[in-house]
Amino acid sequence: MIHPITLQQGTDWQAQAEVFEEIFFVFLALGTLVGIVVVSYTLWNVYKYRDDGSEPDADFDAPVVGELPTGQGGPKAKKLFLSFGLSAIVVISLVVYAYGLLLYVEDGPDTGEEGDIEITVEGYQFGWEFLYPNGHSEMNELVVPADKRIDLTVTSRDVWHNFGSSDLRIKSDAIPGETSETWFSVSSDEVAAQGGEATFRVECFELCGSGHSAMKGQITVIPQDEWDEWYANTEGDSESASVEDADPASDTDTSRVTGAAIGGVGA
Amino acid sequence: MSELPPTTSIRRWLVTTNHKDIGILYLITALFFLLFGGVLALLIRVQLWDPANQVLSGLAYNEAVTAHGLIMVFWFLSPFAFGFANYFVPLQIGADDLAFPRLNALSYWMYLFSGILLAVSFFQGGTLSAGWTMYAPLNVPMYTPSIGSTGAVLALFMFVVGVTASTVNFLTSIHHSRAEGMGIMDMPMFTWSMLATVWMMLFAFAALLAVGLLLASDRVLGSVYFSATEGGSLLWGHLFWFFGHPEVYIVFFPALGVMLELFQTFSGRRLVGRKWVIIAICLISVQSFLVWMHHMFLTTINLEIKTLMMATTIGISLPFDLVVFALIYTLMKGRIQFTTPFLFAFGALLLFILGGITGVFLGAIVLDYEFRGTYWVVAHFHYVMFGGATALFGGAYYWFPKITGKMYDEFLGKLHFVIFFVSFNMVYFSMFLGWETPRRVFEYNPEFQIFHQIGSIGAFVLGFSFFIMFYNFAKSYVSGPEAGENPWDYSRTAEWAVSSPPPLENWPNRPSYASGKLEFVKDYVPDGGPAVKADENGNAATDGGDTHSDHIRDYPYWDKHPSHASIWPFTLSLATGIMLLGLSGFNDSVAFEIGESLGSTAITVSNAAYPMLAVLGLLGLIFSGVKWGLEEFYAPPSEFAERWPFNGVEKVKLGMWFFMASDVILFGAFISAAVFIRYNAGWRTWEPLTESLPGLINTFVLLTSSFTVILALVAAHRNSRKGLLASLGTTILLGLTFLSIKMWEWHHEVFDRGVTLSQNAHGDPIQASIYYVTTGLHGVHVVGGMLIAGFLFYRAYHGAYLDDERPVEYFGLYWHFVDIVWVFLFPLFYLF
Repeated sequence: MIHPITLQQGTDWQAQAEVFEEIFFVFLALGTLVGIVVVSYTLWNVYKYRDDGSEPDADFDAPVVGELPTGQGGPKAKKLFLSFGLSAIVVISLVVYAYGLLLYVEDGPDTGEEGDIEITVEGYQFGWEFLYPNGHSEMNELVVPADKRIDLTVTSRDVWHNFGSSDLRIKSDAIPGETSETWFSVSSDEVAAQGGEATFRVECFELCGSGHSAMKGQITVIPQDEWDEWYANTEGDSESASVEDADPASDTDTSRVTGAAIGGVGA
Repeated sequence: MSELPPTTSIRRWLVTTNHKDIGILYLITALFFLLFGGVLALLIRVQLWDPANQVLSGLAYNEAVTAHGLIMVFWFLSPFAFGFANYFVPLQIGADDLAFPRLNALSYWMYLFSGILLAVSFFQGGTLSAGWTMYAPLNVPMYTPSIGSTGAVLALFMFVVGVTASTVNFLTSIHHSRAEGMGIMDMPMFTWSMLATVWMMLFAFAALLAVGLLLASDRVLGSVYFSATEGGSLLWGHLFWFFGHPEVYIVFFPALGVMLELFQTFSGRRLVGRKWVIIAICLISVQSFLVWMHHMFLTTINLEIKTLMMATTIGISLPFDLVVFALIYTLMKGRIQFTTPFLFAFGALLLFILGGITGVFLGAIVLDYEFRGTYWVVAHFHYVMFGGATALFGGAYYWFPKITGKMYDEFLGKLHFVIFFVSFNMVYFSMFLGWETPRRVFEYNPEFQIFHQIGSIGAFVLGFSFFIMFYNFAKSYVSGPEAGENPWDYSRTAEWAVSSPPPLENWPNRPSYASGKLEFVKDYVPDGGPAVKADENGNAATDGGDTHSDHIRDYPYWDKHPSHASIWPFTLSLATGIMLLGLSGFNDSVAFEIGESLGSTAITVSNAAYPMLAVLGLLGLIFSGVKWGLEEFYAPPSEFAERWPFNGVEKVKLGMWFFMASDVILFGAFISAAVFIRYNAGWRTWEPLTESLPGLINTFVLLTSSFTVILALVAAHRNSRKGLLASLGTTILLGLTFLSIKMWEWHHEVFDRGVTLSQNAHGDPIQASIYYVTTGLHGVHVVGGMLIAGFLFYRAYHGAYLDDERPVEYFGLYWHFVDIVWVFLFPLFYLF
């Protein structure tokens, strides 16, 4: 179910899914290791120091009811700080390592001269509307070309949703009155591997009402030339344009205008 | 009614203010809510058996998910812990009871009736369905219109009121009533954990109170905070998680405290690095308020803040590392006894280690981006919170012999543990395996069905395992062997030094650690004077070196017997519950048609039941409050006690300060909300809605009334009844003047300028909401102050407060606070 999605454009391009898989693998490996070491060490010691009914050691100093804990010369804590130091090093280096990749994920890869495509995603009860730079809108299915960086600007027209695709490892909050951003890219190899049309499941990851469970969508990735043809046919699509105009949600108008103004698709 | 009926009488349990009785009430009620929340969990698991399954409708499923979360987090975890805290914190610190016994009873009854209110909300057109996190704007009536949704919000509000009272009570008790010789670092670890818990609660629950009040205002009165697109959703996120993250530690710390106790008791070893563990606990308590935005990494907050929050999040995991290692090393070189309580505490540690490691994953922002809203999060917080609660079940077995005097059945206990531990991991580890499933979704990807089915089987086994515990406890209570004073080999804390169950007032004589270990000393009580500390030979010491005994001289009734019974906490809570039940349907049954003036405003009542309940409740509330105030109830402070760092502060004043600290957060949250929304709307696009002159006059009126309150105190001190009445009367008049000007101003806004709670002819509607709600909260504080002042006036007229002016002083503290708040509100709403 986890598709490693590689990109062609350059060696420095990594899909969010790849970044995620890499970090997740490192965390999982180290986390499992640390977990097994700590838990087995603990279990072994608990077994070793069990009360087997034998006479206690000479240095065993049993506590008594009513003693004050201070001034009892409690056990030494040297080992405590050694373990604490080690765990701190592991945790801090893990996070510093992951932070480097965060900066990449935040900015997205450099698209160079290839223009990227900006899509506005608007969540509603209960579905997704995808708005293209030319004003065309699609309900619940986002059709995009392969090998392009797709930038998503995500918002909502009613309640708080969360737009996400587990396959692509992308996710973004859809909040009324706010816009958040994410990006993805799918290689033509991946599209070819899925038989000329790659599809990815879209789900809502924030409880948004009675239809939350059924709030599904799909991202469809097709080769660039097929997409160009498809996109050209959507120009002046009167039906969807009228859906657009009839939309009463005024608070999202600004983001739409912005999306349309910036979106220079090289098609 | 200060005589306490026997435990066999039902009346006993309605009137008791004894901390042990209330502890038992908390424990039993919390276990009931465990069953309630558990049944809802099983409904969820049935629905998840098959992604095509539709046992519940989408809406009903959401209600189950929401109520399960709310009940487990609020009505089970914390109250269960507070049951133990009620019973054992006073015993562990050597106190006779909590500082304010009636307030303690009030906390419990508020808790119980708020839970009943939540249960009732299911039958008011369906309870809240917005998730326990109640994200805005799904939480406003436009999207969750049922009356029951409002009922659930008000139930939560009522619960928080009870918690706030409880917090003030525990803080005062622990800081004011520790036995002589027990310094703050000497306190048992369970008490230490509870102290850190209530400190966090004081501030965190005040934020929840604020956000709950704002939501209640949106739902009952019709303000538009959380539906505002000027940052309403994010406002909810910030305020909720400012409470929500400390809440994780608030539910975990009591369990940690139980682990720290049990690891020592069942290994015969003292805690390794005790001082460092305490420092770590204090650090976590402070840091817990600095990490909340890690719940919001995917919202529109910027990268710099995300980075900061990531750093603080990793920072908070480090003290936890230290605590975990301290627990592990405490066991080494010990003589570990695998009793049922130890198994649960040890199991809790293992589960918490797993919860902690998976939490580090979430701290890395890139991973969090993908884990957000998935079962990874669900699994992680169940491992942390329910994993922690595992230790509380250990605590239940550990203290069962103390509470009942009977020993539980060890075999059944161990059987419970084994089934519990295996099924726990079936339920929650399977969630890690199927983590890509979105939260609160039942039509999930069929690839993950096997994991959810394992989880569903585990859930039923887990639920069943608790019936072993119930059976064990019931059978042992009836026919278990006598446990004796101290059934454990290596226990240390003072609850094991008295009989099981302990006597009503806990101690044979005054407990003291002055010699370095617990002793019971017999104080010399001269006829007609306060107790005098005994010296080694049992003679009265007259050195006068103990400053604490000054406190007791402040109490004119020092020779009276402490009271243990009052019905008013019960009636006050019942009345509050009825009032809130009435308010839940208020918006649906009463409609206002605003006309030209107040006189022409039409009120349409479509369902009289709800408004009548609200009025009935309010009347009952005022009646109970007055009876409470007039009741003679004597709760003496401990005579010789350790009070660091509040040595010079008298008991009620200390409680008053704690209460006001939480009120500061309440107003802080309201003012922050106003600033946050205005910043999002564009600061300079808003002009003040009001004229500045009435505000200015009101500022002078309030400041003057602060002065007259001081005069009242001076007059009381000089035994001048006339002076006291005159200055109190002036204060009341000034307060009424303030309220009149305020009413004129509101009237002017509504009828002359067209500014109502949800409509604003001059700008954004949210600006009007903020103005009315923020100044309204202050107005409610003024009205409350007037009621108290009126009560004081009435009593002063009958000659009270001349030999004990402290009630006047405490009212003065409150009144100054209300005035200071106004000094902040005035520029915000009248000048800029």
